[in-house]
Amino acid sequence: MVIAQQDSVSSTGVSIANLQFSYDRGFQLRIPSLEVARGEQVLLAGPSGTGKSTLLHLIAGLEEPLHGVIRIAGEDFLKLQGSRRDTFRGRHIGMIFQTFNLLQGFTAIENVMLSLMLAGYSTEEQRRRAESSLGRLGITDLHAPVETLSIGQQQRVAVARAVAGEPSVVLADEPTASLDPENASATIQLIKEAARNCGAALIVTSHDPLLRSLFTRVIEVTG
Amino acid sequence: MNDMRIVLRSLSARRLTSAVTIGMVMVSVALLLVLLSLREAADQAFRRGTGNVHLLVSADASPLVAVLNGLFYANAPANPISWQKYQEVAGSFPWQWAIPTQLGDSFRGSPVMATDSAFLRDFEPVPGAPFRFSTGRAFEGEFEVVVGAHAAREHALHCGGKIVLNHGSSGSREGGHEHADHPYEVVGILQPTGSAHDRALFTNLESSWIIHAEDRLEQDGASESEADHDHDHDHDHGHIETADLADEDKLITGILLRLPTRPGSDASASIAPQMDRLRRDTSITVAQPAQQIGRLMAIVGDVDWLFVVMAVVVLVSSAISIMLAMVSSMELRRRQVAVLRVLGASAWRVFFLTITESTIIGVIGAILGAALAVVGCQVASAVLASRIGMVIGGVVDLRSASMVVAGAVVLSVLAGVLPAIKSYRTPVARHLRPIA
Repeated sequence: MVIAQQDSVSSTGVSIANLQFSYDRGFQLRIPSLEVARGEQVLLAGPSGTGKSTLLHLIAGLEEPLHGVIRIAGEDFLKLQGSRRDTFRGRHIGMIFQTFNLLQGFTAIENVMLSLMLAGYSTEEQRRRAESSLGRLGITDLHAPVETLSIGQQQRVAVARAVAGEPSVVLADEPTASLDPENASATIQLIKEAARNCGAALIVTSHDPLLRSLFTRVIEVTG
Repeated sequence: MNDMRIVLRSLSARRLTSAVTIGMVMVSVALLLVLLSLREAADQAFRRGTGNVHLLVSADASPLVAVLNGLFYANAPANPISWQKYQEVAGSFPWQWAIPTQLGDSFRGSPVMATDSAFLRDFEPVPGAPFRFSTGRAFEGEFEVVVGAHAAREHALHCGGKIVLNHGSSGSREGGHEHADHPYEVVGILQPTGSAHDRALFTNLESSWIIHAEDRLEQDGASESEADHDHDHDHDHGHIETADLADEDKLITGILLRLPTRPGSDASASIAPQMDRLRRDTSITVAQPAQQIGRLMAIVGDVDWLFVVMAVVVLVSSAISIMLAMVSSMELRRRQVAVLRVLGASAWRVFFLTITESTIIGVIGAILGAALAVVGCQVASAVLASRIGMVIGGVVDLRSASMVVAGAVVLSVLAGVLPAIKSYRTPVARHLRPIA
């Protein structure tokens, strides 16, 4: 994977330097430099299999690079080990997935409160933030099990979970892959607004060319 | 939101599997506790029957047989003891009491013990708990009978009723010969004691001696008629009085002995010396009932430990079922683990969440199992008491219950280790991808 476009910004949410990653089967990812400021919203565009999701996993500390530096909110994230990295991730990174990855059997508010608990918030603060975040995204039935909600409502719960803790970075991995163009556009607007409201850097991956017009900064990813 | 809520939600998300697994632990724990309780109850039931007897003298072949026959009514003793021997033994030491007993007759299969009034007064089937009458009184004269609680219920006997005894027990060669000439009046019904004595009937020695003396005279008369056909058959085989009894009619089958003890104590330092002294007489067998029952329990103990081992195997298999249930749901669990990791949970945290989940299954199953065992034992106790008059504690021993519950919990913790390791090692990125 090669980053085709890059801007330099200040007040970084994410800062990457000399990042290199490789799977055993030969896939290689090299990113000399990438910075995304807090409040900035970036689309990683490109076809499937070019490493967009892998980059998000690297930024979230879920994959280990061969070498390189990733700073989140100024912290050299990769130097954090074990539970310290996990706690940092919970506090500073919100993730949104194509299939939402909500926890089945938990209610809408419990899904959001769970992420806040793992980020270190008190129970009272968890409840306050979760109610506020879900309310802003139009979820009224807070205590419904997520599997009973409509697809659209589940997506909103997933967005609320990602932004409720006011993270430094929101990573959205192909959030519109299974949606029609109209709903895809609405979903992206929803995620952008939620990220903007919490002041986070937003990085969205998508292979859908129709989404390019919704972002001022688009980074082409090629194989 | 807290870790316990996460675990409980995880369990409820797989509620059918969780319920079945908890059910397995519950049944295993209950089974193990009930087996342990019944084993203890059987031991207690045996120890109850020996009561406050220190020594038992009989003419049986071995001390254990003497105890089983003389105190548990297993069979009618084959060899009698003469009244002279009783007087000799009774007068050889200042016993607290020396009670003669005679077994051999029965009523519809229930054993009848002929004895003296001291048996119902001084002998305690359970140490510290003498016989008590449910209704009526002790026998005083001839042909009066006192009935044990279970025998009264089994044969629907009431005070004032008349019964006819059989010579010989139901399983003996003499069984079936009725003493129809001498009906007995039921004068008392005993309260349950939880011992073998509940199955028996009690009368005085003189009544038994009179009946058997008349039988003997009748048999002698029949022999004489067969030997001398010309002899006039004008013997009067009328009723015999106590005063008419010859020494050969006064036979007993056992002597219950108790040595003097200090108040509040059941032990006496003289038991062993007196036992040794009596054993020098080779015409009798001397048994220390408590010691013989201890021997018996040691013999059968190896057998009932097999049941306990089987129950432990069931418990271990329930722990394995916890592990299998958790491992089989691992694909679903791995996605959940991956999400938790993304949200900020450490690998160790998901390890302990998984262990906690298996532990909760074990704790709930063990507590429900202990409760089931308590209820089961009380039901079994009530049923045994009402159906066969057997009194068992009906209480699960707290120490046993604590150990079994603790064991079940430890096993459930161990059962969670493998799934927890799998959770710990879950490759997060791979399990976040959409399911194809």
